[in-house]
Amino acid sequence: MSIKKSALYATATAATLALTLSACGGGTTTGSSSGGGHDPDATVNIGSLYEPQNLDNTAGGGQGVTEALNGNVYEGLFRLTDDGKVDKLLAEDHKVSPDGLTYTFTLRDKVTFHSGKKLTSQDVKYSLEKVIAKDSQSARKSNLEVIQSIATPDPRTVQVKLSKKSISFIYNLSYVWIINSEARELKTSEDGTGPYKLNKWTRGSALSLDRFSGYWGDAASNKQVVFRYFKDANALNNALLTNAVDVVTSEQSPDALDQFKNNQNYKVNEGNSTTKLLLAFNDKVKPFTDAKVRQAVSAAIDDKKLLESVWGGHGKLIGSMVPPTDPWYEDLTAIDTYDTERAKKLLGEAGYPKGFSFTLDTPNYDPHPTAATFITSQLAKVGITVKINTITPDEWYTKVYKNRGFEATLQEHVNDRDLVWYGNPDFYWGYNDPQVTQWVEQAEQSSTAAEQTELLKKVNRKTAEDAASDWLYLYPQIVVASSKLSGYPLNGLNSQFYAYDIKKG
Amino acid sequence: MTTKTPAATVSPTGKPAPIGRSTTAQKRSSRRRSYTLLVGCALAGLIGLLALVSFFWLPYAADDTSGGRLTAPSADHLLGTDKLGRDLFTQVMNGSQIAVQAGLGSVLIAATIGVTLGVLAAFAQGWLDDTLSAFLDILIAFPTLLLAMLIVAARSATLSSAVLAIGLAQSAVVGRLVRILVKRVLAQDYITAARTSGTSWSRIVAGHVLPNIWPTLVVNLALQFGLAVLAEAGLSYLGLGAPPPHASWGRMLQEAQATFTTAPAGALAPGILLVLLVIGVNLIADGLRDTLDPTTRGRRA
Repeated sequence: MSIKKSALYATATAATLALTLSACGGGTTTGSSSGGGHDPDATVNIGSLYEPQNLDNTAGGGQGVTEALNGNVYEGLFRLTDDGKVDKLLAEDHKVSPDGLTYTFTLRDKVTFHSGKKLTSQDVKYSLEKVIAKDSQSARKSNLEVIQSIATPDPRTVQVKLSKKSISFIYNLSYVWIINSEARELKTSEDGTGPYKLNKWTRGSALSLDRFSGYWGDAASNKQVVFRYFKDANALNNALLTNAVDVVTSEQSPDALDQFKNNQNYKVNEGNSTTKLLLAFNDKVKPFTDAKVRQAVSAAIDDKKLLESVWGGHGKLIGSMVPPTDPWYEDLTAIDTYDTERAKKLLGEAGYPKGFSFTLDTPNYDPHPTAATFITSQLAKVGITVKINTITPDEWYTKVYKNRGFEATLQEHVNDRDLVWYGNPDFYWGYNDPQVTQWVEQAEQSSTAAEQTELLKKVNRKTAEDAASDWLYLYPQIVVASSKLSGYPLNGLNSQFYAYDIKKG
Repeated sequence: MTTKTPAATVSPTGKPAPIGRSTTAQKRSSRRRSYTLLVGCALAGLIGLLALVSFFWLPYAADDTSGGRLTAPSADHLLGTDKLGRDLFTQVMNGSQIAVQAGLGSVLIAATIGVTLGVLAAFAQGWLDDTLSAFLDILIAFPTLLLAMLIVAARSATLSSAVLAIGLAQSAVVGRLVRILVKRVLAQDYITAARTSGTSWSRIVAGHVLPNIWPTLVVNLALQFGLAVLAEAGLSYLGLGAPPPHASWGRMLQEAQATFTTAPAGALAPGILLVLLVIGVNLIADGLRDTLDPTTRGRRA
């Protein structure tokens, strides 16, 4: 669940910039400006750096496809709201059996696909099977593999049996698009139930969505949405300055913000993010097998100065993998404080009083080279020599993620609730603590959210104390929009961008 | 060997010199030639000096991050600092070192491989000549940056990978030029005379061919130096050149791009130096061409 696979695939396929960020979080939808004075037939232009690779989120469409289509064109049984709650969407009701293994969903009535076909339980079964199919590249595939069987007793009822209890099941279902089982060519066309239908996708430039007149719920607040894609953040900012776009989904440079902050025609919003920058050690490779070495490296790096350097006062420090919006968040920044003396002492205890040297595999796009340069200069002060090896996103995917041929690497992890990866000893960073693995498994099997939260808090503290990785900082999530606009999402959780509430004055 | 109109017969205004004043015009243009060379040497020399000094002395240590975020130019930091608080002047100096290394390294590789292949192709007959020429043509058609990316992917992103890639790509250009030049020399009567008098091929290459082609070759290599510097900057801009913390001008440009409006010095400084070096080297090439061109030399005498 945690490392965003869709982001990885976007990367692997192309766009160097694509991984650079994407953000997530929890917060509220903006309610700024213009109350009722909006134009219901307006066209909203959304500027983004993340063009989809294709339009199928089980075929490596990347984070761009989630941004443009999730909630806008396709809907799930449940919806993950911008403030991180899970609401019913196409499911009108659901029941869980006492043993927690059988889920019965009742579908909303009178829902039709854009093609005109009525939604039935067959479509839900098809969509779920598509996500767990062998060739699926869905980010949630491994989590949904707990599905043992799917039954469709009548057109409005779906019954799912799980092989073991999974408290995150409903949450994970919010990632599953319900697609017409008869639809084809899903990489270039769509057939969903959302408030918009696809008008036209011009590769390399724009993707436009038109309001769907047959939508089952409240109609969208605007007539058309056009996602306009840019390769370069400066070009995107210029587009906003010249009104070619109305809103930028995620600003990547704090230094570009001044031109909007001092201008009453624009509004700069800082939401909650779940994107973390990690210095990920290979915990299976010496000397990072020793927790003391990992603690020493973490203590020798001044995270605060790095955050200030890269983000100029935006963003937050974190002490673990858990961002403040996750239910099991605790402020653990006190565990890893910047202290070179402690770092030296720990190195001595670990048997490296004179330091050591290691190779840092660094993706070749921002902010990784900057962070790597900073880390190199910081670690030199405690005698650790860092050799920076610049790699492309493709290489990162093969060399680090798949083959684990690395000592340490830098990477962004965009998803919420991704602490649980530390319970998987086979994950790329190779953290292996049987107690943590057990806690994560128990948490997933727990019956109440309180129980789950308590167990994951333990995991949180343990991984932080072990310095399983060094969590350098939490990105800010900055949305800049024309002040004529209201109702846009602020947090872009998991890179979603719901457009249907956007009002243009 | 060149057959083009020598610069000597064109006045500084670009109009043909009046016939009666040809001596004055020739003098003036020969002075202009030496100005070209002089200005070129001065520009390139300035960068060379920066590079040389950077080996022995730098204003700050390369990894000193104590300067504060994006500070403006001041007495402490002549060009200000970057996001991490590193002194930009220090980085620019280090960058000049990398630029000069990239240029010299690439040209060395291009000259070695290019001359060898070119001479080989010129001497070869029939299918071998055709094969070598076709190979060189294909290599020329292949974009330098793409070739560099392939090599970087196969090895790793280091300065030597970049230099190797650029040098290989340029050796094709040099090779093709050398082939034509050598073929033209070999057609001369004195080569036939030398052969009939029993001189060995290796002595003909050393004694007749190379001395006759080197003026044109040197001018071309000077131009390749400028192109190599640009190519390295391009690769570094893409994150495939010399890895951080080495400050290549290309990567400095890339890093400063997002902060250009707030701290323009970070992009301007490496940009201007890059332009100066390339212009300098091109002026040297121009000046050398005029000075070394035997046709012009003959007229002057």
